[in-house]
This record gives sequence, C-alpha cells and structure tokens, in this order.
Amino acid sequence: MNDLSTPPSMSARYGMVIDLNSCVGCQTCTIACKHANDTPPGVQWRRVIDVELGTFPNVERLFLVTGCQHCAEPSCVPVCPTGATKQRADGLVTMDYDLCIGCGYCAVACPYQARTIAHEQNWYYGEPTTQETYVAQPDRIGVANKCTFCIEKVDDGLAAGLTPGVDPDATPACANSCIATAIHFGDFNDPNSNVSQMSADDRAFQMHEELGNDPQVKYLYGIDNSMPGRDRTADDVDDEALQDPANPLVGKVQKFWDMRAAMNFTLGGMSTGLIIMAWLAYMLGSIPESALIGVNVVAGVGMAIGLFFVFLEIARKARFLLVLLRPQSSWMTRETYVVAAFYPTLLADLFWPADILHLALAIEAAAFLYCQARILQAGKGIPAWRAPQMPWMLIATGLLEGAGLLAIATTLHPDLRGATPIAAGLGGALAAINAILWRNYMANTSVNGIHPLPRKALAAINTPLRLIGQVLPLLGFAAFLGLWPTQPLVAALAGLGAVAGGIIWKMTVITKASHQQGFALSKVPQRGSGTRAAPARMGTAV
Amino acid sequence: MSKTSKKVPTYCFQCVSGPDLIKVEVEDGVATRIEPNLNICGQHPGQGTPCVKAYGLVQKTYNPNRVSQPMKRTNPKKGRNEDPDFVPISWDEALDTVADKMKEIRAKGLKDNSGYPRLAVSFGGGGTPTRFMGSFPAILAAWGPADLGFGAGQGVKCYHSEHLYGELWQRAFTLEVDSPYCEYVINCGKNVDASGGATGVRRGAEARRRGLKRVMVEPHLSVTGAMSAEWVPIRAKTDAAFLFAVIHRIIKERNWAEVCDVRFLKEDTTSPYLVGPNGYYLREPGTEKPLIWDLADGQAKPFDGNITDAAMDGSFQVTGLEIGADDEVWQHEGVVVKPAFQVLLDHMEEYTPDWAEVECDVPAETIRRIGDEFVAHARVGEMIEIEGEMMPLRPVGVALGKSVNNGPGGYHAVWARTLLSVLVGAIEVPGANLGTKVRLNRPANNKHLSAVSSRDGIMDFPFNPTSKAEWASQPRIRNGYNTLVPLSSSSPWAPALGPAHLPWLFQKEAPDNWPRPTLPDMWICYRTNPAISSWNAPEVAERISEFPFTLAFAYTKDETNHMADIILPEATDLESLQLSRIGGTGSGEQFWKHQGWMIRQPAVKPVVDAMDMTDIATEIAQRVGILGEYNIAINKGAAGMKLVSNQFDYSLEPDVAYGVEEIWDRVAKAASHDLSKGEEIHDLAWFKENGYMLREFAQREWYLYPYMKERGIRFELPYQERIKRHGVQLANRLHEVGVEWWDGQLEDYDPLPKYESFPDIWTNYVREKGQDPDDFPFWALTARSMQYAWGANVGIPLIYEVAENVAGHSGIIINMQAARKLGIGQGDPVVITSATGVTRGNAVLRQGIRPDTVLMIGQFDHWATPFAKDLNLPSLNSVTDIALSLTDGTGSGSDIVRVKIEKDLEVLKRANS
Repeated sequence: MNDLSTPPSMSARYGMVIDLNSCVGCQTCTIACKHANDTPPGVQWRRVIDVELGTFPNVERLFLVTGCQHCAEPSCVPVCPTGATKQRADGLVTMDYDLCIGCGYCAVACPYQARTIAHEQNWYYGEPTTQETYVAQPDRIGVANKCTFCIEKVDDGLAAGLTPGVDPDATPACANSCIATAIHFGDFNDPNSNVSQMSADDRAFQMHEELGNDPQVKYLYGIDNSMPGRDRTADDVDDEALQDPANPLVGKVQKFWDMRAAMNFTLGGMSTGLIIMAWLAYMLGSIPESALIGVNVVAGVGMAIGLFFVFLEIARKARFLLVLLRPQSSWMTRETYVVAAFYPTLLADLFWPADILHLALAIEAAAFLYCQARILQAGKGIPAWRAPQMPWMLIATGLLEGAGLLAIATTLHPDLRGATPIAAGLGGALAAINAILWRNYMANTSVNGIHPLPRKALAAINTPLRLIGQVLPLLGFAAFLGLWPTQPLVAALAGLGAVAGGIIWKMTVITKASHQQGFALSKVPQRGSGTRAAPARMGTAV
Repeated sequence: MSKTSKKVPTYCFQCVSGPDLIKVEVEDGVATRIEPNLNICGQHPGQGTPCVKAYGLVQKTYNPNRVSQPMKRTNPKKGRNEDPDFVPISWDEALDTVADKMKEIRAKGLKDNSGYPRLAVSFGGGGTPTRFMGSFPAILAAWGPADLGFGAGQGVKCYHSEHLYGELWQRAFTLEVDSPYCEYVINCGKNVDASGGATGVRRGAEARRRGLKRVMVEPHLSVTGAMSAEWVPIRAKTDAAFLFAVIHRIIKERNWAEVCDVRFLKEDTTSPYLVGPNGYYLREPGTEKPLIWDLADGQAKPFDGNITDAAMDGSFQVTGLEIGADDEVWQHEGVVVKPAFQVLLDHMEEYTPDWAEVECDVPAETIRRIGDEFVAHARVGEMIEIEGEMMPLRPVGVALGKSVNNGPGGYHAVWARTLLSVLVGAIEVPGANLGTKVRLNRPANNKHLSAVSSRDGIMDFPFNPTSKAEWASQPRIRNGYNTLVPLSSSSPWAPALGPAHLPWLFQKEAPDNWPRPTLPDMWICYRTNPAISSWNAPEVAERISEFPFTLAFAYTKDETNHMADIILPEATDLESLQLSRIGGTGSGEQFWKHQGWMIRQPAVKPVVDAMDMTDIATEIAQRVGILGEYNIAINKGAAGMKLVSNQFDYSLEPDVAYGVEEIWDRVAKAASHDLSKGEEIHDLAWFKENGYMLREFAQREWYLYPYMKERGIRFELPYQERIKRHGVQLANRLHEVGVEWWDGQLEDYDPLPKYESFPDIWTNYVREKGQDPDDFPFWALTARSMQYAWGANVGIPLIYEVAENVAGHSGIIINMQAARKLGIGQGDPVVITSATGVTRGNAVLRQGIRPDTVLMIGQFDHWATPFAKDLNLPSLNSVTDIALSLTDGTGSGSDIVRVKIEKDLEVLKRANS
C-alpha cells in the first residue's frame, strides 16, 4: 500500500464541483463508490439524497450529492486523538485505519455527515458470499470511514503522469461513473482546471459556508438560460419540514456517542465538581484533610467509572493508548493526559497527604472538567453541542453537581458536616448561573443553528430541568442558608436536585438532542411548480 | 500472496435503454467489481458509463438464493399457497423431460383444436431478454408456430400507442427528442431521467446545461420532473386534453399561418389533402390519387401534381371520388370539400385552454404560455448543417410517458403529440422528435429502408388486413393481434404488441364467437415474471397455475416459476457468452455515430450448476430432433447475425451439435466480416479481448425526414383516413362473425380523435364492479425506478440499499397534506384498496404529488422471490385489473386505478401487541 501521508503534488488543492442541475439522483456514483472502495452494507461514502423544497403546489425537488467535503479547515482533523485523520498538503483529508481507535469523535465533529463506523462485519445476504469475503476489509471495521477521493487512484495516476479530473485513471470512481456528468474532480489551485473554471464567478456555493470549514466540494446551482439559480427562501424548508425525520435534509440523532459517552460526561462532571468543591471547603477550614481525601477517593472512583464507560465506547479498545498521540489539538488527548496526571496525584495524596497535592488534584479536576467542556463543543457536527454557551454550561453544571454532591455528602458523614454552608452558598450561586446559561442557550437555539427536532428534545426537559435542576437547588440552598441552617437535609435535597438536573441535561444533550447538522443549500436552482418554476422564455436563448 | 487480476470487457443490457459497456474486475477467479468501460468513451453516447443497475451484477452472480441446479416439481397441485416441492435433478433428466414434452407436442401437432399453438413462450420487457438468451431464438425459428402473446413485461405496460402509431407515422417504435440540438420540450410524464438509461440521462443533462428548457406535465413530481425547469401538476390521464388545448392555442388563438411551418405542412404532410363528405380523401377519378386544391389557379390537382400554393383552409367545390371501407366508392360532382387542415381547425374548435383547465386542473394561462413557448422555440424556417447537408432545425419536442400513451386515450395523446411536432415541422429533423428504431416494420436493423411511399404519397405500413378477402378471422395466437389490431402488423414483434393481456382474461372468461381459449400444452418463460409484472398480478398468477406444463428458466425462485414444472438455471449475465449489435439508433437516446458488435462473455465460471443459454438451446434442439432446423435458423440470423451471405460463409453444418464457443466464434467472424466488408475479420478470442468492434454510422441516419423528402413521402398528419377505413372494415368483419365485445375498442378508429374524459373510464369501472367511486378517492399511479426498471433485480440487497435513497422506494408516496387529513403519518403502514385488489406498504409523505394522487414506484408485492418478499413494498399491479372496458383499440391498458388509503390497522395492532 502506498504511503498516503505525503501527497505527490504539494501545490494542488483537490476538490469537486457538483452540478445540481445535472444530478438526477440515480445513485450510480453511490454504488460505483461502493464497488471501488469495497464498503460494507449500509456504508455509503458517496450518498445522493432526494430533497424537496416548498409545499404543494409550489414544490421543487433536487438531488444533493453528499460525502466528505475534504474541507480546507476540516473540523474532524484536530479533534482526532490519535492522528488517524490528517490533512495532506493537497487538501485531501486522509484516514489511517491502523491508527484509528473508533472513538467517533471525528464523526461528531463533521458537519457533513461524512463519516461512519461499522462496528461489525455485516454481509448483504446475511451470510458472506465468495465475493464479499474476497473484498472484505477487516481493518476498516470498528474504525472511522469516509470518502477518500479515491486517494490511491489519484496518487497512482499522478505518479503515472496523469491529471486528476481529466484522466479517468487518476479520478475518483464517483466522478468517472456519473452518468449525468454532474460530479467533477480537479485541482482548485489550478485556475485552468475544470473545477476552477466551472466554479468561477460565484457560480458555485459551499454547503454550510457559515461554519468556516471551507469545504472543497462546491455546488453549481444555476443555468442562466433555462434554470437560473436563486437564494434559498424561508418557505423552502420551513420548521415543519425540518421536523420530519424522514426529510433527508434533517440530521439524525448521532449514534457515535451514546449512554456510555454520556456517563463519562455525567460522572466526570460530578466527580471533578465534587473535588473542586471539597477542596474549597477544606481550604476554608470547613472539613478536615481526612474528609477531603475521602471525598477525593470517592470522586476518583466515580470519574474512573465514567472513564471506563467511555472506554467501552471505543471500538478498537486494544489501541486505546494511541489516544495520547494528538495533544497538540485534540481535547480528548488532553483529557487523557489530565487523567494520566490525576490518578498518580490522587494516589500520592492518599499516601503522603499534602496541601500542594490537594491543590494539584483540584487543578487537575478543573482541567478535566475544562477538557470535557471543550470536547463537546468541538463536536462541530452537532449544533446543540457547538453552541458558544456549551463549555460554560458544562463547567457550571459540573460545579453545581459538585456542590450538590457535597451537600448530600455532608449528611452522610459527620466530618463533612461543616461544608454544608459552603456547598449551599456556592450551589445556590451556581444554580442561578446555570439557570441564566440555560435560559440563554434555549433563547439562542435558532441562532446557534439547532434545528426543530433537537429543539424539541431540549424543550421536553426544559420544565423538569428548571424545576429540579435549577429552582429546587436555588430555593433549597437558599432555604437552608436563610431558614433552616440546622437542617442539612434541606441542602441535601437541593443537592439531589442539582445532581438530577445535571444527569437529565447531559443525557439529553448527548443522546437525545444530538442531531447532526443535516444538509442545507444556501442557493438552489430555480425550477419546480407554481412560484418555484423557472421563468417563462419566449425565445431562443441557447 | 500474489493474486491474478484482470478486467473483463462485457455489456449490461438489463434495460431497454442499453447497452452500456462495462468492465468486470476479476481477482483470483472472483468477480469483485464493476466499472465503466471508458475505452469506448469517445463513441458511446453515454461515454461508456453504465447506470446503477450494472453494479448489481456482481451480487446477482453470487446471490446465495440462486437456483443452483435443475429442479422438477413434485407437487402436482399448483398455486400461490401450494409448496411446489421442487427437487433437484440432473441436467440430463431435466432436458429429457423438456424434450419429451416438446416431442409429444410435435406428435400431436403444433396447433390445438382451437387453432392455437400448443407451445407458448413469454419473454421479459423491452426486448432485452434476447440480449441474454444466446441462440435460443433459433429454437423458436426451428420449432414453428408458438404463442408469443402471453403478455408479461413485454406486451403489456409498454409505450403501446407510441409503438404502433409511432411506426405508422414516423418509423418510430419509440421516440426521443434530439437532445444535442433541442431547446424546448413539453414532457407529459415520460420519466426519462429514470428510464432513459445512462445515455438518456447524460444527453439530457448536457442539453440542460446548454439551455434546454423542459416543462414536465405529470400528476407527481418524478425524477425527470425534478430535473425540469417547470412542473405542471396535471390531473391523471388528462394529458390528451392538455395537448389538444396547446394545439388549439397554436392553430386557433394564434395565427397558425404565422407561427406554424406552413411550407412543411403544405408540402410534407397530408394537411392539404381534400376530405370528402363521407370522411375519406377526395380522389382524382381514374388515378384515385388524393386531391389538393391549388390556390394559384383554383383547381384541384393530385397530391403529386404541379401544385403552386396548396390550400390549407377554406372549402372548395370539387369533382372527385371517395373510396371508403370495403371498396365502397362515392362519385361526387362539384361537392363541397375541405382540406384536412380545415377539418382539423374545425375539429379543434372546442378544445380551448379554458375547457382544458377544467379537465386537467391546469390554468388556461399556463397552457397558453406553454403553447407560445413551444412555437417561439421552434425556429420555423431555420436550417442547420449536419455532415455537410443542410437540414431544417426545429429544436422543440414533445415526450409522452408510458401511462399517457398506453390504454384508453393513448391514441389521442400520440396523435396530439405528433401533430404538435408536425405543425412546426419538428419531426425527424435536428432538434425535434426522432424515432429510435423499428420493430413492426422490416428490416429491423434499419429504420429507413421501410420508408416507402404508398400510392397516396404517405408511408406504406404493413397493416394486418381488414378487407373481406384477407382479414384473418382465425386468430394466429390467443391474443388475436392479427385479427383485432390492424396496426400491430405481423412482424416477429407483433404478437407481443397485440392485446397481450387478453389471453389472461379470456382464459378466465371466454368471449363470444371466438375460438375457445385453450391452455398451451407447454409454456416457457424466460427473464419474465408476469405473476408480478402484469395488471392484476394476483389473478395472472392464478391463470399461470392452470398451465399444465411450464418450463421456467430461473435465476432465483420467483412468483412465476413457483408454478413451474421444470426449472433450469441459466448462466447469468457475467457467466455466459453472446455477441450483440451495438450502436446506430435505439431507445433511451441511443443515437450513435458508430455501429458494430459487442460481446458479453463469462467473466467468471458459473457459480452454480448453470448452463449457457446457447448450450441449453442446442441440447434441446438435439433432443427434440430439430437440430438441423435449429442450425439453419442460426445460419439465417436467429442469433443476431446471418452466418452466410454472398460475401462470406461461416455457416453451421445442420447435423452437428456445436458448443457455445464455436457458435459465437462463427457469429463473431460473420459479424466482423459484414461490418468491415471483409476487411477486418475477427474471431471470438478477439472480441473477448477487445470487447467491441465499431464502424462509423452517419448522423444523417438519425433523421427520417431527409429520406422521406428524397422519396417524396408525406407525413400522414393530421387526418387519419387509413385508420378510419380500417376501423369500419374491422367492425364489419367482427360483426360478420358475431364479435360484439370489441365494439368499445373500435371507437378509437377516428380520423381525428375526439377527446372523451378518460379518467371516467376508470371511475366507471369501479361502478362496473358494483362499488361507489367516491369510496376510492385517489388516483393510484406508478413510475419507473432506474434502480430496478427491467432489471429483475429486486432480490439484490445492494440495489435495494441505494434505491432507498430515492423517495418512494420504501412505500407508497402520498401528498403530505392529503395524508394528514386521513391521519396518516410518515412511515405509517397503510392498506391500499381498489375495487378489485389490495396491497400494503408504508406511507411516504411528500409534497411533490397532487393531493388526489398516490404513487407506487416499480413493481413489487413479491411473495416468493427471496429477499424481495420481505421488503413489504406495495405494487400497483396488485390493485389494477384486466378488463375489456379498460382496453383501448390498440389492445393495451394503462397503469391507473382508483384506490382508497387507510391506516393498516392489522399491522398497527401487531406492532402494538
């Protein structure tokens, strides 16, 4: 196999131009790609979706070729904790299956639904056929997959002196196979290339341009003489259309990170929050050192359980340690380094308790919490995650959960009894901060590009979250402080609310409101029925 | 480990819009991948790319559900609910059983007491099976009379009126627009971007990029509608009214003399022919030539006389004679007559855009604007140089979909379409509607050679005779094409182009005064599944179960071979050998500048115990004792190329049983010899290596008009004198023998078709079945799927996977608002009921469909085919019916039926429990 990491051409920038007025949605590219790349059942690196805009009798239907956009600023690359996903100088975003641990991070970071992970080898007829056995690619099971632009073919073609996009032997299978000549491949850095020429003069648009990935797949949308392009209008895709899960424009709930990942965020947030809160209580003299250590050990165990869950999420567990390879950009790698520092610190603190170790542990807990906050936000393919409020909410929730847990803990062990006011005070403040952040997040869902379906999932927890996770802690802690300072159970009840709220919120955000970006067109061909029809033409405009 | 790897050139001809050339990647003897054969990029009009279906061939080859060896039925009872109890047998036993049956028939006589052939054979649609059946046609040629008229994919559900009238008017078995030059197309429901194959799609896309504007007129927004500049959501089956109104706009509301191609109409059509009071052309006494009024000197002259200015409108006093049906002659002295065009002007008076608005639910202003756009783009008067020759350029076309042009209303639609073309001279010239090939006229491989003038100055046509002396009172086969349908002619294709669904109907209920409908002693089916693909498929399955002996060539078990007595597994697409013609002109915009031959060859050895069709045919011929006749038939061209001519002789010895390689080696040599005029003779090995052989084919051959002009032939439009005469004569003949049940069909024989509200036919049929049409508020339609059409590939999961990306492949499409009114949500299980049938599936809610219409793509509802039977997909074929009242004069029905849709409570209950 070739070394794919070094491009044959350092000056090229390969990409595609796709003509929306040519593509008939026939799926030939889809199936040709499946042949050329031996992808297993259900995995389509090149997929063409069938889109409707508008409402009868004003309807437009079009076919949208999707797949990896080989972005100039790929959001999948920096998040990858192992370096399995890289970007070459010629723009191709590559996959090294041997390095991938199957964590799915790249998949949730991609706003183009380009990546898949097949967790097991499936066969089209249930049992393997001779051909399927022959072409099976076991190295691609349990790792992230996506369109490669047929990179080996491009490289081999270049090595043979061929021109990608011109010579079929140096051109991706989808472009070669397209029966409508809708898919064109070439070098955007060459002003004379087919793709540069076709996409010149604003004739092409990029999908989700506003996200800043600078995708290298550009869509042509207009033909001046017959079907001029137009800007998308509000009623092309209304809220109702976006509430239809069968609408291919609508992102589905991501399945890459499930309850296991959510457990890590939940337990990680709680544990780190608890450590920080306990340390504060210790520093303020409210609890003895032994109690702090006890709390830290319990929190460490909680965090470990969360990490174990996320370990279970990884498809290629034996390669787990490769996660350490990308500290320069991946918050997942950084989180792992924090963990690698945290547990030795905890152990050391257990045997040789010292204030400096307590402090170190609290700092590491904070770092862990911060990493988690950044991890989720870098999941750029999930609008509910990439919202600017998200890291602050994760931090504030973690701390609130920590305060809540501390308040509960004070009722369980007499040594911790003194921490109740601190837990209640900070908890109350954090509950208020959480309420403000949540309110702000929910008020800006549209601004943040969160579609109706995830909005609906979030709205479903709005009331319980506010009552249980915000109002109850706020009132409970306030009541403890102001009315019944001798009744720690009141604070504990508030703490329970804080913890429950955190769990409800994180589970929802990670597993229920985590719809993928979906697809959208900022410009469309002008064609269809009624108001969408191309203009009348009373002459020979050819 | 070193591996062997090669790329084997072969072809995909799974659909009528092929062929597409492909390469099969074979590694260590395993066919691993399909890819385009880009070697032919410069010559193939689809530039060497096959469509999605070709990529299913690998899974087709390795499908574990294949019939792996010959089988015989052990349960004598047949039926959907009977287990056939197939048991494996040897090829010897299987072939002997078949041969014994065939010998038994030969001993009894090839025809039965009703005069029908005892052997019946059905093939799948579009003629594509012949591209896979090797030398099997030679068996039929050697055998003698066989009934090829039990409709399946072929013969029913085709572009029926287009086939028959298209060949009559412009030697067009099918029509396509000349995409490379066309600028404006009115398309009534022809789903070319799904059914036009790789070539049709590519040329269509190129034309759009060039600026072609296509207006799609159809009740649902098809793939082709999606790719059109405009979608006009018309009420189902009212397309003829729409087209009539467009004509009205052009010739009544606009000044026809300004916007039409008047020179063309006068010189190259029958528009100026004078029509007498009895509706027949007024003819010159003596010569009996139709007369034209010359305005220049105010005289009537024979059509081929020295005419300066032919009258198109007005009325004139002329002396002449009319020749009616059965040679009835009227002598007229100074009778007032009108040119056919004036008769047309009068006829179209009532078909205004405002009238059509009510009938079609399309705004009158839209109709007017489309008519105006059509004439604006016709470029009347312009010329273009093609290969050094100046030809008229008329870059406008009209396309008609399958259900528009078959069944009742089909004649009206194809007439209106052709008339629209003719009005602006946009027929058989660059940019216009072009015929692709001939199937009824001969010779089959050159559409121009049959274009000869009749004595009336129009193209001769091989009508089945209706005169008293020549009419065939005895139907040749059970569908009675030669007796009932003059237009179906008598070519080898004619049996499939008769009323091919009638045998199923008559088998159940014999018509009066008609030979007793007998069962064929033996029925052979190949690449066809009429138990799924017919109208009222469940009923047809029952009829099939009544056949005493059925031989099915089978790939997997299916609903038709469920009733078989013997099943023979043929080596499939990638496992067998054949040479086939390529290039020239053909369906799906197969307009080439080359023609020649291509090979389909075994990329891999048969994966199961299958035999090549050629070897099967030879074995059967030998065992039946007709080897000599079989070999002679091959020599005469039954395998696609005659092996002997005055230039070469590669003929087979009559008494030698040749192997598949030897037969096709000889075909290869004869074909290459013929193609290269002896300059470049290639054997089979050469074709296996190179894949295809081509020679140039002049673009001039795409167009019929230059040939007609050379031969002084006029287009027979607008007036249909021959149709009228045949109609009256046919009525006379049928009534003479007491056949009254074809009277409804005889109403189609109008010289100028009159519109009737065609949807009412299906509405009334609900009443005929004793039910209330209001209970069935939706029009159910179907549409082709590129992923499946003609492919017999419903059992291939890869095809299913990718087809699912196209809306409608997971259920029945229904308008979103209409569904909501019924409380039906996205994906809900629904039951679809007509007056005669029921089918089930899941609701697919979309905006691109009229609220009164539902759509079931493709043909599904399988109950035996592995994989497909678990798909839970509905089928229009389960709710349509076969009936005389739904059959038109050409002998075809249509894919339309009234249905109701309800939530499937049974499924919901099961899901809830």
